[in-house]
Parts: sequence; structure tokens; C-alpha cells
Amino acid sequence: MRGRILIAAAGMLGLVAAPAARAQAQTPESYRIGMTVAITGPFSAGYAPTYEAYRTYFKRVNDAGGINGHPVAITYEDDRGEPQRAAAAAKKLTDGSLLLINASISPTYKPVMTEAEATKTPLLFGGGVCPREAFPPAAPLIFCTTSFGSKWDSRMALGFIKEQSAGKKVKIGFAAQDIPLSRIELEFAEQHAKELGMDTIPVVVVPGSASDFTPFAQNLKEAGADWVFSWAPWGVEIGVFEALNRIGWKGNYILYGHQPAQDELTRLKAPNLHALTGNAMFVENLPIHAEITNLVKGQTNHPAHYMAEGWTSAMVLDAGLRKCGWPCSREKLAQALAGVSVDTKGLRGGPIEMTADNHYRKVTYYKVYRWDAAKSAIVSVGGWSKLDIK
Amino acid sequence: MAQALATTVVVASLYALLGAGYVLVYRASRVLNLAQGDLLTLGGYLLFASAATFPGTPAVALPLAAVLSAITGVLVYVALMRPMAGHPVFAAVLVTVTLGILLRAAIVFVFTDRTRHPLQQLGLSNPPRPLIAGAVVSTFDLVMVGAAVVLFAGLFVFLKISPLGIRMRAAGERALLASQRGIDFHGVFALSWALAAFAGGLAGMIYSSNVRLEPSIGILGLRAFAVALVGGLDSLGGVIPAALLVAAVEVASVRYGNALLSDVSPFLCLLVMLLIRPWGMFGTKEELERV
Repeated sequence: MRGRILIAAAGMLGLVAAPAARAQAQTPESYRIGMTVAITGPFSAGYAPTYEAYRTYFKRVNDAGGINGHPVAITYEDDRGEPQRAAAAAKKLTDGSLLLINASISPTYKPVMTEAEATKTPLLFGGGVCPREAFPPAAPLIFCTTSFGSKWDSRMALGFIKEQSAGKKVKIGFAAQDIPLSRIELEFAEQHAKELGMDTIPVVVVPGSASDFTPFAQNLKEAGADWVFSWAPWGVEIGVFEALNRIGWKGNYILYGHQPAQDELTRLKAPNLHALTGNAMFVENLPIHAEITNLVKGQTNHPAHYMAEGWTSAMVLDAGLRKCGWPCSREKLAQALAGVSVDTKGLRGGPIEMTADNHYRKVTYYKVYRWDAAKSAIVSVGGWSKLDIK
Repeated sequence: MAQALATTVVVASLYALLGAGYVLVYRASRVLNLAQGDLLTLGGYLLFASAATFPGTPAVALPLAAVLSAITGVLVYVALMRPMAGHPVFAAVLVTVTLGILLRAAIVFVFTDRTRHPLQQLGLSNPPRPLIAGAVVSTFDLVMVGAAVVLFAGLFVFLKISPLGIRMRAAGERALLASQRGIDFHGVFALSWALAAFAGGLAGMIYSSNVRLEPSIGILGLRAFAVALVGGLDSLGGVIPAALLVAAVEVASVRYGNALLSDVSPFLCLLVMLLIRPWGMFGTKEELERV
């Protein structure tokens, strides 16, 4: 009797399992990736486009047959830029994922990195500022594709100012936001400017929720700044510049050109506003820009040029997965990423090349853009400049 | 010094416009409207939407956004606050908190979280205006100050002279007596919400034209709440000196102290006021006990 029951149960299991097995044979296994990203919340403007770029990029990859014959399945978790949510998302996403992506604000980094380390999951930062663990000597599992990088951006901005001032003594001010990353970066810049022989004004720290940027701008103006450098979230960068303009300041301003920079240069038409950026602005109309613009049409509420950070990051992951082959493990993928060389097709000034101890890139490229009133267009001030990352 | 004074007056005008909204609703209905900051945000986005609909025609877009702000206030009262009549005031306050959250979510849903600039679509510019002693303000800084002066002057005249304004004061001061005299409470409350939403919306329209427009600017409402409490929650006149005081402390902390203090300066002012005169500069003690 018991034997008959077992046979019947086995038969039923077979009936259930057979179609599932057939389906599995028809649908190849996926490269499973997890992404914790600030899709909503107060900081989403800078990160939601990265999520949209990834979604669009890998839809195209999957529609074309996937990578090495396998689709890429990315699970997205909205962390709203909140560390607790990011921690929960990382815990959930590391279960079965080959790699974790973080596209969120820096307070989410620690919990996500802790979870990635505990589960030996490679972690790729794309869209947010790169953690120091990605720079040489890099931590084995931490990678970063973001265009801006702490300390390197300041070096490039100050070098640009020195070049523009053509031997004339410069007095420089700095506008930071009241977040550790921005303050530390600009305190470094202040020190570096002194080493370059510039007169410096102590860093002006601006609360992100300031009702009016005028008093902060006034401090910079009255201190006699010829140049002001800002490296902060976009609201403060541009807010201080506009306040300086409102009170009739005549100096030059350089900021890191985050995603809105292209729109804002066009809106403000201010010849004294310079945007330093690692991404080519879409006003250059490169073929890759047209390609992205066409692909994201109808897929996003953001302008196509907001996709540059996420698109580049997706290109790096694509290259890593191709190199990893099939089957791919976390260890293999980390090794693959540590050796990628990605042609960014002009989105950046050159390829993104990672090495065993440099998970940022061997060489980083920058361009400075400003508004040219004569041409009534955004122009680049010179071509790409490069810095070796050591 | 002249520049610091000019900036103080500009910031105070913003806080005064917002603070008036808190006081108007509180005086009429004894409800703390904690969605006032979000009504500011909404005003900015209504201007953005009207400017996008009628680009380059500020004469249409600006009044339209102002009227829509006031209508929003009436709708809020009719749809959310009127059904709360008879329930504890605490529940009505929670409704305003929920309203704020919903407004923020709706704004992100409709307009996304990108920073917007209505001025660009209005076809207006915001050039600097030199004042005396080297101080410079923007054109929309002046508009902010002018709007606050006109609004407060209008409100004082309206509340002192007009029959409707007198009825509004009566409803706020002696509710039972006013109801026995046949004053339409719902009409008065709806009007107070309309005026509060109008004041908040106006502040939002000017602020977004002058500085920026993004879903998070509603945080300014929290600072203005401190202003309303410092002035006295039931005193419209108290809003003006309170706004000037809070703005002066804020600007002075940036100019002469630690810039980071400016972020908390409204609440430092509130803390000091609570310690020495908990009912505010011109508020009444009974009202504080009620709160």
C-alpha cells in the first residue's frame, strides 16, 4: 500500500516537475544582479536616472539574446537614500546575486558594504561618489564607475583655475554643503590651493536646507574671491553661484557638473560659470548620445543626458559579465571586473580600465564647459584633460 | 552691514508670508496647519504648471497660480477639514500632516523630483537691484518684500474693517457667541484656509522664481512654524517682528558666527521664547494652554 502511494506521489511530482524542467530548458539561467538605488525620496533626482539607464541598457542586451546566451536579471530595491532601507535591501539582494550595485547617497554605503563583505559579493558603485576602497590599493570586492572622484576633481579644478589665471595671483573661495564628503573635499582643495600658491578663503559651509544662499555668497564676495570652487550636491553648487550673481559678484565660478549642469548652463547663460565634468555633455551630439536618446525615449521622465552616469556603469558591468563567461561566480566576476577595459564611445574622455589594485580607473578624464555668449551655445574650454590614478 | 540688513528683510518677508498662513488657520479654527510648507511647494509648482501652459505670459500665469493656490485651500477645507468638525483638534492636525505627505508625493508623481525654474518659462529675468550703501538684492527679493507688505496691509484692513473680516475675527475669538449671531462658520473656515493657501502659495511662487523649485522646499514651512510660535500663534501682528527676529538671527549666524547655526537658528529662537514667554511675543496665554 505504502509502495503504491509512493509511486503515485512520484508520478504526480513528475507531472508537476516535467513542464517546469522543460521551461527551464527553454529559458536559460540568468546573470542575477541586485541594485539598491534611491528611486524615490529627497535625493532621488541624482540617482533615479541611473536606475532608468540600467533598466534600458539591459533590456536592449536581453532583447538581443543576453550575455553569453544568458539574460541579465536585475532586481531593483528602492532605498530612498535611507541607510536602514539600504541595509535591508542589501541583505535581500545578496541572496543569490552575483553582484550588488549601489546607486544612492553616501550614508547608505557602510551598511551595503558590510553586507557585501559578509557575503563576499562584489559591490559596484555607479552614480554616487566613489568610496576610497575603490581607489588604489583597492579592496578586492569594491568597484566604482562614477565620473567624479574625491580629491582628483579638486586637483583638476585647481589646475584649471591656475591655467586660466595665466600667472596672475588668484584668491579662491570654496562653497561646501554641510555633509562630510563635501567638506572634506573642499578642505583638501583649500590646502591644495595654498600649495599651488593661491590665496585662499576658508571654506564656506552651506546647510542644504538654507532658505537663502545670499549671506553665504556675501561672505565669499566680501572676502574678495576671484574664483569660487564648489563640490557639493547640485542645489548648493548652483544656489551659491546664483546668489553671488544676484549680489553683483564679478568673479569666476567652477563647480562639478552633475546631471543638471547642461540645462543650467543653458538657462543661466553666464560666461563666468564653469562646469567641470567627467562625462561628455550631450550638446556634443556624439553617436552614443543619439543612441541613448533614442533608447530612453518614453522610458524616463528625465532628459536623456541624465543617463550618462548609469549608462557608463552599465557598460562596465556588461563588459565584466562577458569576461566572466558562463557559469559565472562572484569570485570570477570580481576578477573579471578587476581587469576590464571598456570603450566608453565618447561618454568619457577615454576607456575605463580597472586593474587588480585600482577599481576606479587607471586614467580619469575631465572637461570644462561654459556658456559662450557669442556662439549662444555651451562650449568646452579646451579638450579632455587626464589624470593618472595612482 | 547694509547687505546683511537687506537680506534679513528679504528672508523675514518669506517667513512672514508663510507664518501668516499658520496664524490665519489657527485663529479661525484652532487647527495647527502643518501642511503650510507643502502649500508653499504647491504654489511654486502651480506657477510652473501655469507658466508651462501659458509660456511667456506672466500676466496670465502668475494670477492663475495665485487663484489656484487659494482654491486649493478651499478644497482642502471642504474635502478634509470640514468632515473633521466635531472630532478632537488633534485628529485635524494629523489630517494636515497627512495632507502634507500626500501633496509631496503627488508633486513628485506629477512633476518628478527635478529642480525647476518657472522664471525661465515666464520669460522673465531676475536682475540685481542696487540699494543704498552697497547692498544689492535681486528683483524677486524686492517682489518678496513687496508681497509681504501688501498681504499684511491687506489682511489688517480686511480683518479690521470689512464685515467678513470682522465675522472671521468674531468666529475665532468667541465661537459660541458668533454662532448664535448666525455667522457661517464653514464659510469663515473655508476663507481662512483659502487665505493661508494663498499666502503660502504666493511665497512659493516668488521663492521658486528667485531661488529654486524642488519638492523639498516645503522644509521652509518648518522654519516659518517656529516664526509663528515666536510671534504668538494667535497673533497676526506678532508674525512680523518674529519673522524679522528669526531672519536676523539666521543671517547674523552666517555672517558673524558659525554658518551651520543658521540651520537651527529658528528653533533656537523658539526655544528661548518658550523659556521666557511660552505664548510668544504677542500671543495670549490662554491660547498656549489650549494648544
